Amino acid sequence: MSKQYQAIVVGAGPAGSSAALTMARAGLDVALVERGTFPGEKNMFGGILHRMTSIEELMPDFWTKAPLERHIAKKGTTFMTAEASFNVQHETTNFDRAPYNGYTVFRPRFDRWLAEEAVKAGATLITRSTVDDLIYKNDRIAGVSILGRTGQIKAPVVIAADGVLSFTAQKAGLRRPKFNADQMAVGVKALIDMPREMIDDRFGLVRDQGFANEFVGCTGGVRGGGFLYTNYDSLSIGLVFHLASLRTSGKTPYDLLNEFMEQPQVAKLVRGGRLQEYSAHVIPEGGYNMIPELAGNGILVAGDAAALCNATGVNLEGINLASHSGILAGKTVIEAHQQQDFSLKTLKRYKERLDLSWVMKDLKGFRNAPKMLHIERIYNEYPELVCSMMEHIYRIDGTPKMSIPKLILREVKERVGLKNAISDALTAWRAL
Amino acid sequence: MNIDEIFDFTSFTIDREPHIVLDTAVCVGCDNRGCTNSCPARCYTWSEEEQIMTFVHDGCLECGTCYVVCHKNAFTRWRYPRGGFGVAYRMT
Ligand SMILES: Cc1cc2nc3c(=O)[nH]c(=O)nc-3n(C[C@H](O)[C@H](O)[C@H](O)COP(=O)(O)OP(=O)(O)OC[C@H]3O[C@@H](n4cnc5c(N)ncnc54)[C@H](O)[C@@H]3O)c2cc1C
Ligand code: SF4
Ligand code: SF4
Repeated sequence: MSKQYQAIVVGAGPAGSSAALTMARAGLDVALVERGTFPGEKNMFGGILHRMTSIEELMPDFWTKAPLERHIAKKGTTFMTAEASFNVQHETTNFDRAPYNGYTVFRPRFDRWLAEEAVKAGATLITRSTVDDLIYKNDRIAGVSILGRTGQIKAPVVIAADGVLSFTAQKAGLRRPKFNADQMAVGVKALIDMPREMIDDRFGLVRDQGFANEFVGCTGGVRGGGFLYTNYDSLSIGLVFHLASLRTSGKTPYDLLNEFMEQPQVAKLVRGGRLQEYSAHVIPEGGYNMIPELAGNGILVAGDAAALCNATGVNLEGINLASHSGILAGKTVIEAHQQQDFSLKTLKRYKERLDLSWVMKDLKGFRNAPKMLHIERIYNEYPELVCSMMEHIYRIDGTPKMSIPKLILREVKERVGLKNAISDALTAWRAL
Repeated sequence: MNIDEIFDFTSFTIDREPHIVLDTAVCVGCDNRGCTNSCPARCYTWSEEEQIMTFVHDGCLECGTCYVVCHKNAFTRWRYPRGGFGVAYRMT
């Protein structure tokens, strides 16, 4: 097997399929190479597909064609201790109308569908093929080699869209050979089967409305957070841990996930459900400061492979950034073909395009968010502070009530210390 | 959820040829062994009595955690399984 293409995309995730779709639409002969039996087989995430304006441009009727679950009409944040929880929720009819602000989706379905759209546009999808290395001819990239099949696929330009560990970018010398555990997190997730009516009743949803909730204080002191999202007839529930913190904690992701699901208020939400699938994946959470070289001679890097993931603490956005960067990489390759030049000189236009896009602007704007996420106190002391304060406010026990400002001051002094609280507030302010 | 029963709720097409190979001699001298608690599938087990690290690739979720967490680069091989092998998610 050694066929010549005009471009090779490694990885049929959202970044890769968007790139392949863009190039195929422009008439390029593209190979989209995926290691799974089908695109999406290897992919997991929390569960929210945020609005994808760039895909909407390629496919105006995107929302009616893609395999989506519920649209997110209601969002919540919960501060939690082992015994108590405090919720804030936001709901608006604006998010209950098309164009919707986001949906829950399953990756094995969504990624497969997006890759098929690329195939419909003319791309060649090659599954069950793990790319092993880049091949060079006269110092120029000439294609990739496939593990096991001792096969090669040839093209003058490669887009590395192979996800967070991107061995393709590593082999091209574009990313650092070793990751910093401080910039990486791992997410674990349980998919819980639950009848649709039960979900509607429990979360106060009608029609196709969905609910997305983030949790703070549920990770046993490890830096990280939790999430719970509603699909049509299942719940996605999971935890995310920063790896530098998890490594030294001695705690295991599955024990913490079990504890989370057994916390009394969470247990009520998952009760009656049945575990259907367990999954895990690493997330590049270092943000702007973690981005590797985005282009080299004959190669571009898109999506998670380029660390284009925005973890603000309120949202985790990845698919929309991956897809947009894939489209920009695809456009750059189209241009390179017009000029018949695949050197860095032409391909670095990709970085310029990204810099001008909302992807880089967002990442730059939130470049301090990872710093905030490293404040240890967020994961224990603050949720305890919030929950204990609310308990004091609500409790009626025959003793005189303390004024709320006084109460806040007392709790802050006791649990965090004033100086820390001020410095944390400043860090958070700068981050957001 | 019991992690020992991972094969009951997540599907795998197991390759006989492991995609991760560990130089367990490095693990004997490791001061931290963060892999043992961080791996979401409990693929790493350290035996204190025997001073041996055991690694099983069968239930590996291909998440990448051990690759990032190991600060000693104890891997003689760390790559994804050959095409078509390894974890297979249906709904996640
Ligand atoms: C727990 C968790 C929760 C998340 N929550 C959200 C969320 O709610 N919303 C959101 O937008 N984002 C979320 N993200 C982030 C999002 O999943 C990623 O940013 C996104 O998947 C990146 O897309 P990608 O195409 O760059 O990479 P991926 O989706 O990782 O795709 C890479 C593809 O390349 C393939 N591949 C890898 N190596 C090779 C190789 N050598 N040869 C062939 N194929 C290869 C893989 O099988 C895969 O199909 C979350 C991530 C995690 C882990
Ligand atoms: S962290 Fe690395 S060296 Fe240490 S025990 Fe684990 S695999 Fe071995
Ligand atoms: S890749 Fe993930 S699941 Fe597999 S052994 Fe490493 S940590 Fe465990």
